[in-house]
Amino acid sequence: MIKVVFSGESYAARVWRKTRNGVGVEVGLAWIGLLVFAAVFAPFLANSMPLLMSKDGVVSAPVLHYLSIEDAWVLASFFIVLLVYKLKIRAAQRIALFLLGAMIAAVLVNLYVSPPKLVIYDDFRSPAYTQVDWRIMPPIPYAPTDYLRDLVSKGLEAPFETTGHLHLMGTEENGADVLSRMIHACRIALSIGLIASGIALFIGVIVGGLMGYFSGIADMLGMRLVEIFEDIPTLFLLLTFVAFFGRSLYMMMVIIGITGWSGYARYVRTEFLKLRKQDYVQAAVASGLPLSSILFRHMLPNGIAPLLVAVSFGIAGAILSEATLSFLGLGVVDAPSWGQMLDQAVKSSSFNWWMAVFPGGAIFMTVFAYNLIGEAFRDAIDPKLSDDSGLE
Amino acid sequence: MSQSLLEVRNLRTYLQSGARQVKAVDDISFNIPKGETFCLVGESGSGKSVSALSVIRLLPQGIATHPSGEILFNDQDLLTLDDAGIRAVRGSQIAMIFQEPMTSLNPVLSIGEQITEALYAHNPDISDSEAEQRTINVLEQVQIAHASRRFHDYPHQLSGGQRQRVMIAMALACEPQLLIADEPTTALDVTVQAEILKLMRKIQEDTGMSMLFITHDFGVVAQMAQWVGVMQQGKLVESGSCASVLHQPQHAYTQQLLAALPENLVKPSLQAALELESPAAPLLSIRDLQVFFPINKGLFRRTVDYVRAVDQVSLDIFPGQIVALVGESGCGKTTLGRAVLQLEAPTSGSIKFRGQELIGLSARTLRPLRQKMQIAFQDPQSSLNPRLLIETTLTEPMKVHGMGDSHEHRIELASQLLESVQLHRDFLWRYPHEFSGGQRQRIGLARALALNPEFIVCDEITSALDVSVQAEILQLLLSLRQQRKLTLLFITHNIGVVEYLSDQTVVMYQGKIVEQGGTAQVCQQPQHTYTQKLLAAVPRLKTSMR
Repeated sequence: MIKVVFSGESYAARVWRKTRNGVGVEVGLAWIGLLVFAAVFAPFLANSMPLLMSKDGVVSAPVLHYLSIEDAWVLASFFIVLLVYKLKIRAAQRIALFLLGAMIAAVLVNLYVSPPKLVIYDDFRSPAYTQVDWRIMPPIPYAPTDYLRDLVSKGLEAPFETTGHLHLMGTEENGADVLSRMIHACRIALSIGLIASGIALFIGVIVGGLMGYFSGIADMLGMRLVEIFEDIPTLFLLLTFVAFFGRSLYMMMVIIGITGWSGYARYVRTEFLKLRKQDYVQAAVASGLPLSSILFRHMLPNGIAPLLVAVSFGIAGAILSEATLSFLGLGVVDAPSWGQMLDQAVKSSSFNWWMAVFPGGAIFMTVFAYNLIGEAFRDAIDPKLSDDSGLE
Repeated sequence: MSQSLLEVRNLRTYLQSGARQVKAVDDISFNIPKGETFCLVGESGSGKSVSALSVIRLLPQGIATHPSGEILFNDQDLLTLDDAGIRAVRGSQIAMIFQEPMTSLNPVLSIGEQITEALYAHNPDISDSEAEQRTINVLEQVQIAHASRRFHDYPHQLSGGQRQRVMIAMALACEPQLLIADEPTTALDVTVQAEILKLMRKIQEDTGMSMLFITHDFGVVAQMAQWVGVMQQGKLVESGSCASVLHQPQHAYTQQLLAALPENLVKPSLQAALELESPAAPLLSIRDLQVFFPINKGLFRRTVDYVRAVDQVSLDIFPGQIVALVGESGCGKTTLGRAVLQLEAPTSGSIKFRGQELIGLSARTLRPLRQKMQIAFQDPQSSLNPRLLIETTLTEPMKVHGMGDSHEHRIELASQLLESVQLHRDFLWRYPHEFSGGQRQRIGLARALALNPEFIVCDEITSALDVSVQAEILQLLLSLRQQRKLTLLFITHNIGVVEYLSDQTVVMYQGKIVEQGGTAQVCQQPQHTYTQKLLAAVPRLKTSMR
């Protein structure tokens, strides 16, 4: 007897459930999850100041005191995501609620969080912070920009080459802890990949979808636009903008996004040109369904498979773009990033393996993880590859 | 019986698919005498193609195994030959032609090169000029006009029928003793099919070769075969001389297949329903409809000419009628059907539905009318959205048109729809790929019925189906039409289906309607020469056995 198991499950929930089937994707998701965790809680994971301490009976949290506006906003956004995920509402409402919450959080954070302008890390090694009743230090007791060069005899230290300070991944030439810098760089790596690809995907799907569905004159104009954007060399545009407007992570995201959509638009266009003459799309038109349903329900899910793989490579590509810029010494100045750390490894007078292996490995793992997820997502969307049909 | 050329004894072919073993051919025995034709007939998946491929050993090694059997060709067992041995037999003594003429030829080689290649392979010492002369001879043998000039033509310069002739020429080039033909005319129009079949019979008379002919069409069997074998699920359920199998079938399955042919189906009487409706105004009235597709050339995509897909067509369809639109591929019948539903933009003319002009309406004003007019498609593979549950496919249009009070109510309506097309209501929670072709066509019909339409365009909905499934769908259509007072525009190329199903018949040729009238009148006293040619070309069981 046929038994219906998942009748009320939405399309998105079903796809997500199927995406989770498989070992590769679990590895990918675990790695991305680790990065997200590190990015959100970076100030609590790797910092020179105590998390909590008690001095003369007064309990204080220096980490919170020194928390920057960005740190606070990222934390707030993370909890808003968790909250929105728990609520049982529609996907569109979730996105709207999250955006609203994130904006409110940004305003509040700007109003109420005012960290000290100057942080002198040596202070935290002074008696004011060391001679206390008790204190809890972060797991990695070094801030990413806490340069220990003056404290120890030499800047470069290999992992576990102990001189009283334990550095799990060694130090760079100024004596800053490599692991701490790796953790704080997660934020840049994640955000640049997701936001740049998100911008590119948004523009690409809309332009490509309209080109493919309407064809004719819309297609011709769209393709010329695609060709114009394809001709822009992203790296040199980035270099130009850095030269004119200085270094900014957000500018980099936007530029990578608005120069990267043309490939997605081509994918979507080709798929839509193929799909619009499919019988089921014609049947949808004949049933008088609204254009948004025809485009996004009947056509997009059937044409998205090549796009997803492209996106996973696109995210990887955006991370690499940022790494390239940082490697060229044109990245964000003070905040550490994986590319900039690789740059340091190369520019150093001697080859120090730990400065190349860890950031390089992290870039590799992240790109690999996105590719694994992209593949799994593609398979999940294809019902033919799944023996799970909601029936048992 | 004269001496056997090919003798197949107790052949079994098992195909390995993952952990599963499929008994594709299960203990079949037959023999083909010299100079005669043996037809293997059966529905899709019955193992007839696998049998043929086993004979010529074209099945992939490692996947296909032969647990038992002998294939004696001139008293030599083909199954025991090594690769070199079978290659010497293939092409030179046993040749094969395939179903799809569009993909069987290599598009980057001229047809002459492709035929001479086979000659060189089996006669290494043949001279260039001799090879060319033999190629031209064989092209003349398959009646390609101006063979010496077409020698250097490429496949895309030939029509489907000509390509199939070239395929036959290629097979004949080495003068084989046995020709295996796997559905060689299935992809062709019926008039072209008649010519190819005639040609194959003539070549057989001239050369005295034997044929193993695979088909699903009993009409073709009646024209070609001396001997017939009926296959079902890998077994040869009945075999014997053509006349005895077709006219005194012994096995229940053969009887069932023959009874499912449209020309043998018993047509229910519908006269009462018709007379009630016929004096009414036409439901759909088409006047001077033209659908042209521009041919663009050059840098600025200038329109240099048009493909006149539908040219000056006028047609009235009255409520409650089934109008059959007949024609060969490319005659514009599908375009006409889609233009009626505004899926294809007409170039000029007028289409009135219940007196309301459809051409020029905006998407918004057209939407309420779409509810009244629906379409069902030919290809069961592409007619349903593979990403959506059947439930979503059926309830979404209802929601858009405001049918049903709640989602639960719409699901109930969709379940009833599935039951009305004789499917289980739990099929709502499945995806299209889980169904067979016939089931998908039923779901396609259910979708067309979801909005309670008055008029449905059925675009070749039974063409991709086996005869027994086709018979079920046709009977379902007739009963649905009576229950729901439907009007149908039934597009088809199958004259048997037309005679069984329709009240009115419209014949299209090159974008124009050449003849229309009552089905009995058109089919029995065709007036236009094209209709006469079309009807004469239909392979029939009864006429050909006179």
